[in-house]
Amino acid sequence: MDTSSLASTLLHRGAEADLSLATVGSWRVVVKRRVKKDYRNPSLDEQIRHDRTISEASRIHEAKTGGARVPSIVGMDLENNAIVMTHIAGTVARECLDELSPKESRKLLRSVGAQIGLLHTAGIVHGDLTTSNVIVSPPGAPFIVDFGMSHRSVEPEDRGVDLHLLQRSIVASHSQDSSSMMNATIRGYEKTAGKKIATSTWQKAREIARRGRYFAIR
Amino acid sequence: MCLGIESTAHTFGASLVDDRDRIVTNVNSTYRPPVGVGIHPRKASEHLASVADSIVKTALSTKDGSSIDPDVIAYAAGPGLGPCLRIGATVGRALSSFLKRPLVPVHHGVAHLDIAMSITKAHDPLAVLVSGGHTSILVHVGKRWRVYGETQDITLGNLLDMFAREAKLPSPGGLSVSREATKGENLIKLPYTVKGNDVAYSGLLTAAATSLRRQGNLADLCFSLQETAFSMLSEAVERSLVQTRRSEVLLAGGVAASQRLRQMIGSVAEDHGASFHPVPIEYSGDCGAQIACSGRLAYESGITVSTSDSFVTPRWRMDEVDVPWIPRA
Repeated sequence: MDTSSLASTLLHRGAEADLSLATVGSWRVVVKRRVKKDYRNPSLDEQIRHDRTISEASRIHEAKTGGARVPSIVGMDLENNAIVMTHIAGTVARECLDELSPKESRKLLRSVGAQIGLLHTAGIVHGDLTTSNVIVSPPGAPFIVDFGMSHRSVEPEDRGVDLHLLQRSIVASHSQDSSSMMNATIRGYEKTAGKKIATSTWQKAREIARRGRYFAIR
Repeated sequence: MCLGIESTAHTFGASLVDDRDRIVTNVNSTYRPPVGVGIHPRKASEHLASVADSIVKTALSTKDGSSIDPDVIAYAAGPGLGPCLRIGATVGRALSSFLKRPLVPVHHGVAHLDIAMSITKAHDPLAVLVSGGHTSILVHVGKRWRVYGETQDITLGNLLDMFAREAKLPSPGGLSVSREATKGENLIKLPYTVKGNDVAYSGLLTAAATSLRRQGNLADLCFSLQETAFSMLSEAVERSLVQTRRSEVLLAGGVAASQRLRQMIGSVAEDHGASFHPVPIEYSGDCGAQIACSGRLAYESGITVSTSDSFVTPRWRMDEVDVPWIPRA
């Protein structure tokens, strides 16, 4: 579908894409358009935007099939490197996490963990799992959005990156106690992914965290 | 007046910074390995030891030849190569006990950021530290720098140095690669690995080196290596900037001397309405001034060490150091 003529209002400027709000039929939709990056070489830029647009739509669709709470694909506009998907009303977890009580945050993180477990069992890793990519949409469980860096994998290494990134975003952006937040996440994760996968993924996540430079003990 | 002594890897430097954060003297000598060879820790440390005496003397003399008595002695305590670190630490200890002045241990990476922030007047930036020892994206939260993104394997400096060595280009590798890159035109497809806010460069190095051995065009390879490696980092920086919402982007460390990287990170900052603070090229590489600058700030925050506890720490992460002087006034 052609999104260039669609009347839309800018919702959010992300790192690699602009999100705008529009209406298609009776759907409230979000148009995610990957914008040209001036810092990148033009041919490298075009290739990255094209590949990621297609891969993102495919992964979102697979996640849906796997039972995870993600947006639904309404259409594609490959000329403009754009995806049209249903709009999720709610608050970004990054915004609301610090206002929740410790108990409420643990509950939220448990549901987030369960959603990650569903993605991983469906053979998908998110690749950019931070509190900015979780939308809290009461009364139900949270939605996971932004599959721009996602890919197909069942490797503990790739699954570990997801938990590692989530943990780091909690440490760097939130005042909540990160270890109890992660414990809650893993409990939720275990419910949908099973004990075995949960153990190997978390072990890998801790290993990845230690891979950074200059750790005294490896 | 704070005397700073740098000797973490290939450079021995000594510098004086005054109480108003001005660099009074900055004298450095860098060990250059032969073409095609990396830094040998012992040979580097021998070079540092042989120049230490005259570098410190020059750094402590005024233009008219009289000598300055520093109030504080700061030394680079890590991270770095053990044999090299020990040279600077020995000089620092000796001066501290002879002149009866307090001794301040400095983290070399924190110092890269401190001097960049002092000169470019940054307050509380998203910091991008790119050198042979670090490739990290950091924000200051509470008392410490927090690592928001980093390399999962080799640093950007390692990547450029190792490729340059493979291509028999002279040290510093970053400069040689960028010179060749200006002659390149064709973008060769190389592995582009961004994992969230992290990057991984080892696959890129292997692919570029393999292509070179198969008679790939050197200029095109240097061009493609730079474009791919810098784009990866720029993407991770952009992602981190959007998440942390800082209004300043600081670029520091040896690889910050690269014009192409400055252009790319500057463009990311501009796109998101943040001011761009690249360290001046003369202070991007390892130098005494960074240690003096950071040591002065640490001393003002009450950080000193007794001679008997003045160890060196070859492995020392940025997020393990208390840095209470940020945000800067």
